Amino acid sequence: MITAMIDGQQVIVAEGTNIVEAALKTGVEIPTYCSHPGLSVVGQCRICFVEIEGMPRLVTACSTPVQDDMVIFTNSERVREARAAVMEFLLENHPLDCPVCDQAGECGLQDYSVEHGLDTTHMIDGRRTFPGFERRTIGPHVIQNQNRCIHCTRCIRFTTEISETADLTMKSRGNHSYIDTFDGAPLDNPWSACVADVCPVGALTVQEFRFRARVWHLEETGTVCPGCSIGCNVNLGHLDGVVHRFVPRANPEINGWWMCDYGRFLAQGLNDRDIDAPLQRTDDGERAISWEGALATLAALLQASPKPLVVASANFSNEALYSIKRNLLESSGMVVVVPVDAGGQRRIKNGRGEWIDGIDAHPNSTGASHLGLAAVDAVVLESYIRDGDGPLLILDAHAHPWLETEAAAAAAAGRPTAVMARRRTPVSDAASLVLPLASWAETEGTYTSSTGIVQLARRALPPAGQARPPWEVLHNLARQLGHEQQRIMSPRVLFAEMAAEVGAFAGMTFGRLMTEAGMPVHEEARGVG
Amino acid sequence: MTMEPILLRARGDKNSRTLGSYLKRGGYKALAKAIAMDPEEVIDEVKASGVRGRGGAGFPAGVKWSFVPKDLAKPTYMICNADESEPGTFKDRELILVDPHMVLEGIAIASYAIDAHTAYIYIRGEFVRETEILVKAISEARRKRYLGSDILGSGYELEIHIHRGAGAYICGEETALIESIEGKRGLPRLKPPFPAVVGVFGCPTVVNNVETLACVPHIIERGGAWFAAIGTERSTGTKLFCVSGHVERPGVYEAPMGTTFREIIEEFCGGVRGGRELKAFIPGGSSAPILPADRIDTPADFESVAEAGSMLGSGGVIVMDDTVDMVWALENLLTFYAHESCGQCTPCREGSDWALDVVRRIRRGQGRTKDIETLQRIARFASQGMTICPLGDAFCLPITSFLEHFGGEFEEAIAGAEQSVSTHLPVLPVRSDQALFEAEEVGR
Repeated sequence: MITAMIDGQQVIVAEGTNIVEAALKTGVEIPTYCSHPGLSVVGQCRICFVEIEGMPRLVTACSTPVQDDMVIFTNSERVREARAAVMEFLLENHPLDCPVCDQAGECGLQDYSVEHGLDTTHMIDGRRTFPGFERRTIGPHVIQNQNRCIHCTRCIRFTTEISETADLTMKSRGNHSYIDTFDGAPLDNPWSACVADVCPVGALTVQEFRFRARVWHLEETGTVCPGCSIGCNVNLGHLDGVVHRFVPRANPEINGWWMCDYGRFLAQGLNDRDIDAPLQRTDDGERAISWEGALATLAALLQASPKPLVVASANFSNEALYSIKRNLLESSGMVVVVPVDAGGQRRIKNGRGEWIDGIDAHPNSTGASHLGLAAVDAVVLESYIRDGDGPLLILDAHAHPWLETEAAAAAAAGRPTAVMARRRTPVSDAASLVLPLASWAETEGTYTSSTGIVQLARRALPPAGQARPPWEVLHNLARQLGHEQQRIMSPRVLFAEMAAEVGAFAGMTFGRLMTEAGMPVHEEARGVG
Repeated sequence: MTMEPILLRARGDKNSRTLGSYLKRGGYKALAKAIAMDPEEVIDEVKASGVRGRGGAGFPAGVKWSFVPKDLAKPTYMICNADESEPGTFKDRELILVDPHMVLEGIAIASYAIDAHTAYIYIRGEFVRETEILVKAISEARRKRYLGSDILGSGYELEIHIHRGAGAYICGEETALIESIEGKRGLPRLKPPFPAVVGVFGCPTVVNNVETLACVPHIIERGGAWFAAIGTERSTGTKLFCVSGHVERPGVYEAPMGTTFREIIEEFCGGVRGGRELKAFIPGGSSAPILPADRIDTPADFESVAEAGSMLGSGGVIVMDDTVDMVWALENLLTFYAHESCGQCTPCREGSDWALDVVRRIRRGQGRTKDIETLQRIARFASQGMTICPLGDAFCLPITSFLEHFGGEFEEAIAGAEQSVSTHLPVLPVRSDQALFEAEEVGR
């Protein structure tokens, strides 16, 4: 360990820690543009100058490791002057178009210019422009405005070091150098939108989010990506009940600072909803029904036959799945299956630069397996549905792509069917009971990643209409079935009961999951997943 | 000339480039002598000679060699920097044209001293003829076993490869040069680590200028002490001075370190053209600060020129007579540096172009009083370690020195903004941002 003084405060850090990181430990934020914790150090933007006692010249904090007994000043007169000068150099050619720039509000240039810049400029000559590069679509998701670029090369380093696709490159030289796609091929890799995340200014923006909301209006909720089994940490940005975007939330153990485009652009889909109230379908036609009535009808339906089939979902939280296991599988002896779809191949690089591969398309198939629920693929699921005649309870109409097909509706035909759904599907159109399901943004719960980390996804929005989160519906259903007392229920209570009973969750508490990045499952459970 | 030329002794010799001619002059004897010595002894001899880097920085060559770590599992590399691109500097080209084998022998001895078995000559892309000469010289030397496997029957092996630059001034900076050899964009690296520890392909590497290496065979043959006796105490040996500009006989001249600029300009070059007045001279290539005429008696060695407020640099002496408009001259220099900034560091990328804009505006008669302050501010914050490599200093030193010695002309130009100064001078092919950009590949 190394001891140094930063602005008069002692700091003890591991060997090799650079001055930017060390300063953060004392609560001092040194401005940076080219430096990014997930990318290599180039030390070229020159904004992070600090003064070190005994050194004649200022040094760049990002490229200088702390050494024993170093005395560092991050805010001396010399440092402030140099920073203001670099700020002025950066702004010399940067357009003053913040009012129409989508980065405004989360722009490094704006923030540091207020904090470290001059309130005037010496510049009276014309600004450099890049005609034809103001609004250029460089890939399926990213739009470039080269006029705003400050040449930090983070985007280039992302495509060479993280995505390993080398889509972007610097062309020309000096003040006229500009970012371009390599060989004119589009910036099209599975993580392409991350270049807009790492861009400290508005030079690269995401087409899907551009001009949808001002970021200072957005509320951000820390959650987990529902796209696959990896469980990338994300911030969900929403405004007035509408989900606008996912952006990656740093977690060195899982997704580093990154997320894939597939997961990122699931965000807007969370706003889709066709079904917002319980609905009963009889020979007389459709009629709206209260939740009380719907659950009573459902309980009666399930109890009318000895062998109801319950199709659960690997998209549900551990708490909801635990409720299914306890009340439907164990207490009622129903047949419960969890459909699992392999989905597309997803990968992400963690904070140590190691690839993590997704195992399937669901955020909690690992949790389902730890809870001892039976996973089935589409073929087995079809035979389960087709081969019985008892009542069928599909807890999530979107649990598997096959469940959303006409074939699923055909297989279920003839069985009394109850479905929880967000959007209409052939199965929900034919079901005798349709219940509105809360979306990912509207429910809180824990999910177990394929690497065995239990993580909390927070609720961003109240459920739309009469939709209810699965754990709540399942608890109320259990009451109707006579397995539960009337009591106050929440994911926290369910989690505590689950942690006491299921080995994989031993020793975990909901409270710690709220403050920590995630907790690994108990050793013994690792083999099961 | 006051002494027998050493580096340019073959000049005037009709077939000086051939191996036969070189052998007649006693060529490759130094290599034979060096190979019989211990590499440590070779380094000590070069250290004793006190020879300092001729590329501009003036770092003692022997000391540089001794930084290479010993007994590493990795190979070491020798690089000869022939990317001579500084305006006003054309001495390396002369050496290659006159005596290519002397350069090769220097490379071979240096490689032996640092235990390198691969050496590169990084040559400026525009030097087509010089490249051909070196290719021919290398093949001649290989055939006669002065290069290649088993040099002179000693078992020592060395291959020299020629790598041509693609036209960027910045690739003369040693770490940018290394990046370029590796096939990357020529961008200077962060230091430390220095090339002697982590250089080309991550291996220890020594980069020396052509002229420095050309001195090496003479040092080995005649001894470090002999070399150290020439020149001044701390600037030893002879130096090539490339004199350009307003003199009667511009060209490359060899003279001992410490020869005064008066001698160089008045005796070697026949004085200022047409008997005009000397106004100013740049002593060491275009990035060295300009000196006014009254410093002409400064001895041309590293210390004296530094004392006079400039740098000996590469020895490129640019002479200006009393017809020169200093605003125009600075614009000329800045045009070069703005064009050659690699664009990596903010202060240099933005500052070089900004300073050019300001000076260009002053020359066009649209200067403002605040412009001088702006230029000084740019020069202050784009030099002295504000950038990764010295290109920041290279464009800032001219700015500060022009303002220091000829600030009056800038003030006059600004004061008489309406009367439009210096319109009689040719308009430089300055880059209009737009025009350049459209002309390049962007306008597709």
